Amino acid sequence: MATRHLDVEVRQEPGAVVLDLRGEINGLAMEALNEAYAKAEAKDPEVVLLNFAQVDYINSTGIALIVGLLGRARASNRRLLACGLSEHYVEIFNITRLSDFMNVFPDEDSALTKAPA
Amino acid sequence: MTAPKPSGKTEQNGARRILAELSVPSEPGNERWAMEEVAEAVRELGLPDATLDRLKTAVAEATMNSMEHGNQYRADVPVLIEVSASNADLFVRITDEGSGAPPAPDTETPDIEAKLEGMQTPRGWGLFLIKNMVDEMNVSGDENHHTIELVVHLDGQPEGGK
Repeated sequence: MATRHLDVEVRQEPGAVVLDLRGEINGLAMEALNEAYAKAEAKDPEVVLLNFAQVDYINSTGIALIVGLLGRARASNRRLLACGLSEHYVEIFNITRLSDFMNVFPDEDSALTKAPA
Repeated sequence: MTAPKPSGKTEQNGARRILAELSVPSEPGNERWAMEEVAEAVRELGLPDATLDRLKTAVAEATMNSMEHGNQYRADVPVLIEVSASNADLFVRITDEGSGAPPAPDTETPDIEAKLEGMQTPRGWGLFLIKNMVDEMNVSGDENHHTIELVVHLDGQPEGGK
């Protein structure tokens, strides 16, 4: 089975910069994820939304990468949000307590409209 | 990679039926092939979707752990996976050629706050995830092999599907 790399599109939406993630979040995703987050940071947003709707695999190394982004966001007083996770990965975000530190929404619309200020 | 034995040729091994035996070269990314093959092998058990998703994550993490820490990602050293079932339980045994003490099964829960503060490495989630995805995780080993056994209790599982 060929490993699918991660592609990330960065776009500005009212109230947030959205990172559209496509592919797998594993150790090979580090460069793409960090580069995309740096592009988001350059826009100096208050909120960065990670959209996982097109992500089909996250492993423990991928969890570590997300923890790293969350640490960067907290250090610069930004809020990192997540949306589009499958039920399974919502469970993993709960087990790892990632969801204690980043709000998780079902989809982008709810994230952008219901994100607590 | 060696494909599993077809489910129609399962063997009797005491009270356990062997559903598949896999040989996985220790190369990054092969854990995904392993988890999909194990999912196919257990299809006949009709596990609920959520249980199957958890098992797949546990298999992927244990296989990745074996490839990385046990076999140091030497492609010519395979990770061996045996999938078997009794009436009560599903077993997945994942064996590498690691030496020394096998990984401690009772690792502490990762401290995400310490990780966010930069006081711990962001990594270190693998064994924690495995333990939380299955009903039992057993670790054994000798001088030349380490085995992680994943156990899913089949009693009390709801009917397959969502």
